[in-house]
Amino acid sequence: MLDSDAVKGWLVWGRRQVRRSASALRDRAETGLHGPHWLSVLSVVLVFFAWWFVHAFALVPEVLLPGPGEVGATFIDILRNGYRETTLWQNSAATLWRCGAGFLLACLTGVPLGLAMGYRPRVRAACDYIVQFMRPLPPLSYLILLILWLGTGDASKIALLYLTAFPIVASSAMAGVWTTKLERIQAARALGASETQVFRYVVFPSALPLIFTGGRIALAAAFSTVVAAELMAATDGLGWMVFSASRFLRNDVIIIGIIVLGILGMVLSRLVLVLDSRIVHWRGVE
Amino acid sequence: MSQDQFGVLDRRIFLKTALVSGAALTAGLPARSLLAAGKAPDTIRVGFFLETKPTMIAKGEGWFDKFAGGKCAWSEAGSGAEINTAMAAKSLDIGLAIGSSPTAAGISQKLPYQLVGMVDNIGPAEDMIVRKAANIKKPADFKGKKVATPFGSTSHFRLLGFLKVNNLTEKDVTVLDLRPDAEVAAWTRGDIDAAYVWSPAKAKMLAAGGESFPTYKELDAKGYVIADLIVAATAFSTAYPDAVTGFLRAYGNALEMWKTKPADAAAIVAKQAGVTPDVARHDMEEYDFVTLDHQLSGDWLGSPGKAGKFAEVLKRTADFLVVQKSIKAAPDLGSFQKAINTTFLAQAAKAKT
Amino acid sequence: MSAIPALGSLWRALGERRVTAVSVLVVMLAWVGATEGGLVDDLFLPSPSSLWDGFLDLVENGYKSRTIWEHAGLSLERVLSGFVTGALVGTFLGLAMGYNRKVEAFFSPLIEFLRPLPQLAYLVLLIVWFGIDETPQIILLFLTALPVSAIAAMDGVKGVSVLRMQAARSMGASEWQVFRYVVFPSALHEIFTGARLAVGVVYATLIAAEIIAGSTGLGWMILDAGRFLRSDYVFVGILAIGIMGLLLDRLLLAIEHRVVHWAGRD
Repeated sequence: MLDSDAVKGWLVWGRRQVRRSASALRDRAETGLHGPHWLSVLSVVLVFFAWWFVHAFALVPEVLLPGPGEVGATFIDILRNGYRETTLWQNSAATLWRCGAGFLLACLTGVPLGLAMGYRPRVRAACDYIVQFMRPLPPLSYLILLILWLGTGDASKIALLYLTAFPIVASSAMAGVWTTKLERIQAARALGASETQVFRYVVFPSALPLIFTGGRIALAAAFSTVVAAELMAATDGLGWMVFSASRFLRNDVIIIGIIVLGILGMVLSRLVLVLDSRIVHWRGVE
Repeated sequence: MSQDQFGVLDRRIFLKTALVSGAALTAGLPARSLLAAGKAPDTIRVGFFLETKPTMIAKGEGWFDKFAGGKCAWSEAGSGAEINTAMAAKSLDIGLAIGSSPTAAGISQKLPYQLVGMVDNIGPAEDMIVRKAANIKKPADFKGKKVATPFGSTSHFRLLGFLKVNNLTEKDVTVLDLRPDAEVAAWTRGDIDAAYVWSPAKAKMLAAGGESFPTYKELDAKGYVIADLIVAATAFSTAYPDAVTGFLRAYGNALEMWKTKPADAAAIVAKQAGVTPDVARHDMEEYDFVTLDHQLSGDWLGSPGKAGKFAEVLKRTADFLVVQKSIKAAPDLGSFQKAINTTFLAQAAKAKT
Repeated sequence: MSAIPALGSLWRALGERRVTAVSVLVVMLAWVGATEGGLVDDLFLPSPSSLWDGFLDLVENGYKSRTIWEHAGLSLERVLSGFVTGALVGTFLGLAMGYNRKVEAFFSPLIEFLRPLPQLAYLVLLIVWFGIDETPQIILLFLTALPVSAIAAMDGVKGVSVLRMQAARSMGASEWQVFRYVVFPSALHEIFTGARLAVGVVYATLIAAEIIAGSTGLGWMILDAGRFLRSDYVFVGILAIGIMGLLLDRLLLAIEHRVVHWAGRD
């Protein structure tokens, strides 16, 4: 039987850790667009206007900043003819696939490990120091090692994204377990629930908000890193497109790459937010 | 009900998911090209550079595929260092036009490849460009100036040699690590006073207020010879010697075309590299493309069993890299001689077209 | 004679940490076994001894004419410059956005676009525009920290109990006083959380930033050593960066505890 004092002890301690520890912690779903919508539209329009203005009045040398018209024309060209024999769809798909694969693998392994670490102090003691050390490591710093070990194909890139996302997801799952209220577990047990049922109906749902928060942050980190992963030894992908364009000083292609990446990033975060609010609809409710 | 019951269940779930994901991970790994028993490989993984050289002719016309007897999978490399990394990771079979500086480093680090041929002797093609406005007339004028070069490249090697020969240290001259395209941008902004690099960046800077500061003659004479080379993974060349020979033959043909029909050659190279034929022609004229026969002579790689002088060049390059702390140690001359395998080259030279 | 009982009590005293200790021991043994035992080539995984040699070498002789402390210092300087400027501006912006719906509506699309944007993608543009010295690096780190801090500050303001604000106002406090004594202290916890997140992201972006021209910085050192496959230097660099990152995070945590000692209470 789990010693209830011990359980209480580390649940309380865990909660203190959760309050202290940073990133995975925003229990509140992020706010969406508020306020007068026309102002939002206005700011975007202003940015484009500023761009056009700077270009039209040659405030900046042409070679450094191509105008919106030129970029638009290049965009249509790329849509039709692709960039260096790769289409925009191909590059976007390659980047998204790498990001998704790394992130999913991290979730599949990180969530169970995190839950185990939250539930069993021994598991935590055995694994946490590794997870905590991985967190502050900048991904690009060990990319070369991954390429050496796993070759120049997709494996090293997906591994990089996996290692970026894994510690975030595992830590969040662990913290999630700690937010479970002890009274609930005790109540469920008192009602005769088996351990599996306790886990499934009490602990897991309590952990889910933090798991999702961690997942959101991990996905954002993975998306940010996938472009860095395409810096070395890549033959396609949006990141590759940007770096390749930079070699030939094709600033117009670079700008297109940036815009596409930005939009993809926004769509991804929005998607995860929606998923979060749909699935974890009990977030914040006590 | 008991803790053990839960504990076991939890562990089982964890194990299962871990196993599944582990399997997924391994399944996703790219299949290493299993060397099939046979004379011709299915795919040949080649690392290349997008540059204005006859290598682009053989690539564009499909000669590499044709003569080597397999389909070439082309990976564009950004630097010789990337080719080394890919070779160490066993992701490449052939490295095309890798610089002598990274090659010397690779051989010193016992990377699993052999030097099988030369693309060119670089000579004047990589040299110093100085800004006219910086008023640099002699080596001592470089003091206090900013010079850019891609670190780890043959240009870097020559630049460091230049500094050493002229008793300048990196405290006197600021050496900046910039890729060729970044150098052009920095040049345009006026951030750098000089650059040691190859075309097209070199030509662009010359055209934008630059002038040439020739160093290559003196440096070559003092032993800072640089060249672009062809390396082949040892495992690959042992399993498919004919493919390597064919590969070299294809390059030999491309060289022939450049020597006999330069205008046509320039046109093909231009199309591959995305530049005008004039630019392509002008760039290629700067290089000393050593013919296959001449590569076999004592001046360069030597013939099977009889080492040529190039091994010494590699040794000297490696020793210099050790001083630079770029590599830990350089092996003796014999190791470099052993790393040069000219059997394929000899066969390729014999089989003229 | 007294060693064994001493070890025994040490073992008991370690308590849970024993598991960690055993785990560390297993990892170290595996590492030593694989490398010294010749299972793995030095290129792929340096042995502990060659790592140690590499570390000593770097400490004694520096890397490419600068000591390792100089490289670390320069990296730290960049991280701090980018972070401090980005977090300050971001926090101000976030506070404004939290307070005023109109400000929020105006800046929201820009922040939402900037936040998930992979840094390396616009780095190349920054190099072209701002040259090759510290400027583009700091700007990159600034733009990385800004949206994170802004969103955190905004959330912090929005999370303030409306009752409190109303109570203060009904007691005759001016808007500025309401801000200074009710809103700001309440939001401080979120702001600090955002700051820690920002440091994390900026730190991760630092390596990307040091790819620009310059022959300095820990990130650049790892990249340059990686060019020649000097795995020993690469490993030492990675470890150094990891430790520095951990220390930075703990430092911020300590600062937060000193300043925000009422966090968590409502």
